[in-house]
Amino acid sequence: MRINILIGGKAGQGINKVSEIVSRVLTSLGYFTFNYRDYPSLIRGGHNFNVLSVSDDKIGSVESKLDIVVAMDEKTKELHKMEMKKDGVVIGFEEFKELGRNLNIAQSGALIKILGIDKQVLIDEIKSQFKESDEAVAAAEKGFESQEGKFEFKKLDRDVEIMHGSRAVAIGAVNSNLDLYIAYPMTPATGVMHELAGRMGKGHMVFQPETEIAVVNSAMGASFAGAKTMIGSSGGGYDLMTEGLSMQGMAEIPLVVYLASRPGPGTGVPTYSLQNDLDVALRGGHGEFPRVVIAPGDPIECIEKTNEALYLSEKFGCVTILLSDKHLAESEFSSDRKANKVLKVDVKREVAGEGIVKRSSYEHDKDWNTTESAEITKKFADERIKRYGRIKKECEKFQMTKLFGNPNAKNLVIGWGSTKTVILDALDAIDGSIKNGKGDYKFLQVLYMKPLSSKIKEEIEKVSNAGGKVILVEQNLTGQLGRLIREKTGLKIENRILKYDSRPFYCDELKEEILGV
Amino acid sequence: MDDINEIKKNLGTKEVNTWCPGCPNFLILESVKTALAGLISKGVYRQEDFAMTTDIGCSSKIYDYLNISGIYGLHGRSLATGLGVTLGNPNLKVLSFMGDGGCFDEGIAHFMHAGRYNADMTLIVHDNQSFSLTTGQPTATSQEGYISKASPLGDADFPLNPIKVALAAGIGFIARCNARDFKHTAEILEKAIQHKGFSYVEIIQDCLIFNKNVNNKDDRMYKIENNSDKKKAEKIAGEYDYNNGHGKGKIALGVIYSEDKPALYEKWEQLKALKEKGVGWKG
Repeated sequence: MRINILIGGKAGQGINKVSEIVSRVLTSLGYFTFNYRDYPSLIRGGHNFNVLSVSDDKIGSVESKLDIVVAMDEKTKELHKMEMKKDGVVIGFEEFKELGRNLNIAQSGALIKILGIDKQVLIDEIKSQFKESDEAVAAAEKGFESQEGKFEFKKLDRDVEIMHGSRAVAIGAVNSNLDLYIAYPMTPATGVMHELAGRMGKGHMVFQPETEIAVVNSAMGASFAGAKTMIGSSGGGYDLMTEGLSMQGMAEIPLVVYLASRPGPGTGVPTYSLQNDLDVALRGGHGEFPRVVIAPGDPIECIEKTNEALYLSEKFGCVTILLSDKHLAESEFSSDRKANKVLKVDVKREVAGEGIVKRSSYEHDKDWNTTESAEITKKFADERIKRYGRIKKECEKFQMTKLFGNPNAKNLVIGWGSTKTVILDALDAIDGSIKNGKGDYKFLQVLYMKPLSSKIKEEIEKVSNAGGKVILVEQNLTGQLGRLIREKTGLKIENRILKYDSRPFYCDELKEEILGV
Repeated sequence: MDDINEIKKNLGTKEVNTWCPGCPNFLILESVKTALAGLISKGVYRQEDFAMTTDIGCSSKIYDYLNISGIYGLHGRSLATGLGVTLGNPNLKVLSFMGDGGCFDEGIAHFMHAGRYNADMTLIVHDNQSFSLTTGQPTATSQEGYISKASPLGDADFPLNPIKVALAAGIGFIARCNARDFKHTAEILEKAIQHKGFSYVEIIQDCLIFNKNVNNKDDRMYKIENNSDKKKAEKIAGEYDYNNGHGKGKIALGVIYSEDKPALYEKWEQLKALKEKGVGWKG
């Protein structure tokens, strides 16, 4: 059973609260939820909506046809009525007028009733969220009583946890004993800053300096002094940091950069999502120097890959870019999988204070003094390449790619980052390819964008030699992973499904696109 | 304690010095060594306790000639890098070296915020009123009308007065020195380094190759007593406008303003704890 609920209204009306209440109740009953947040760049007014998908099986996407619309205003009804299924239900706002700001709580109550969930479960959730407020409970009850039950979401025996990518990156950082997170606010990267600031105690520290340029340079200073340091931004802020990344390439000071992309170029469509910054993650910064680029595809992978990023940067004195996007950072995923064991991140190098330690953005000799010698310049350039070789070898210990479905399936879908979970859902919707492992499709998820795994070439050749279809799925205009694969392997993927309207794929939309190839 | 000359020798390196012969940067290097050696010999700091961050430009070549920890960073970013070092280990004594171009053109945003953060560090600006390592283009402190290869018709803009900017930005220790008076400079630097929080020391220096019109101002310089009166500091700052009509405006040297404010490590519990333990995040 899978249903899709849209909750819409003006910014500030508490749309997210409805999603939160309902998804917490449903996951506590063992269901999987996925909550997509769609909002323009404004603080009050406008039209925001969430789409909450609920299923008794694993999901990581939403569908375009709606079972329930929760309308906090008239505009929501008008804008979304065409997306309703024939027997769809609308929860309106008119009958709850006298409740004022508690409209969202009443509508949550109404929703719980329609889903066929016990009233007491609702009351317990409301009490825990609103500090036993009688007013909140009364609003929830009023909503509950206003509806008839339509579905039956009975309790399942399963532990499911809800998480968005921002929280997961923060957890991964805390697991790695991060000392400092330095950032300047920029959507959609700011979520990690908020999550880590909220977790500040006696442990790590979150610092917001004057510019992204100050962010990257102060991070280099802090890491030089021995702090495990991470910074974060989105495209524009990342662009400002790139001179610093280049300096890192010379100075070899460990640095992790969280890059949460949004649609560009320019200020673009700031609160929406696009995978358009792989190119700049791979290449931002002048000169030739080692770097690692990792793109997790769901929150559990965010926890694991943040840990790997900090580990690799510290071990090799390299820059590691952790690539995400608005969809992964802010959508609420649910999972019953626990993250892998944490790798210990140890600062073993000598740092200033313990002795005299120098690091330079200039080419330097072995004592880090400036040199313009041709011989030494060549020697250290060679050393940078050798170091990248060692980094590659270490990366092979981790999951650089993941293959889902039957390894011998006829067709291969390739994707990365936030498209992972919708690809899995779409392939299951086609023929259960992933869940039963017997369908016509398998999915190769690329997690390490640099270094790139040799597995990709093997899989593409295996499928195309056997006459199967290889399909690239990306949420960008030019197929950036496809171009990268072509650069590294010489193989061109002809079938490309690219979406670049800044909205993530709907599961049913992607299914049709794949079937159309 | 060790002989001060021995300590000074240890503060030097064997690197070939590439400053122009006779450049006042040699005197600034001497003043810095004297100040550090003084502090080390008194047991205030160990040589390992210092960390420098340097910019790009003639000033910043000092990285190669000073035997203390440090980062030779990017143009304009010395303060940001230095701020980071204090975040990474509040027990390190940070010296940031910059030129007037790096500090007041490329990197002025960092200067404007340095007083607010009040990290425990000292900014030393080698001010020769020109971008000398790139062959003499005008900087924010160059005089109006300065003719260079980049400004053949004369620089059209009036100069910034760094002391006024520093006062406006709430910097808690502001001093000005003359590179040629290296003993006085060393004394001021020692004070600046011991000041709790951010300290700014501007060192007026001649460039022997570029913008020579602003050189040789020694006869207009005079020394002041340590001042902590803001009104008086503003008056002193206004005496010299860096526009350098010859013979106009007295140039005060010494501590123009100082004030005790909470340092960065006192404002953050995490840093306070590290400071008390005498370690950085590494432990």
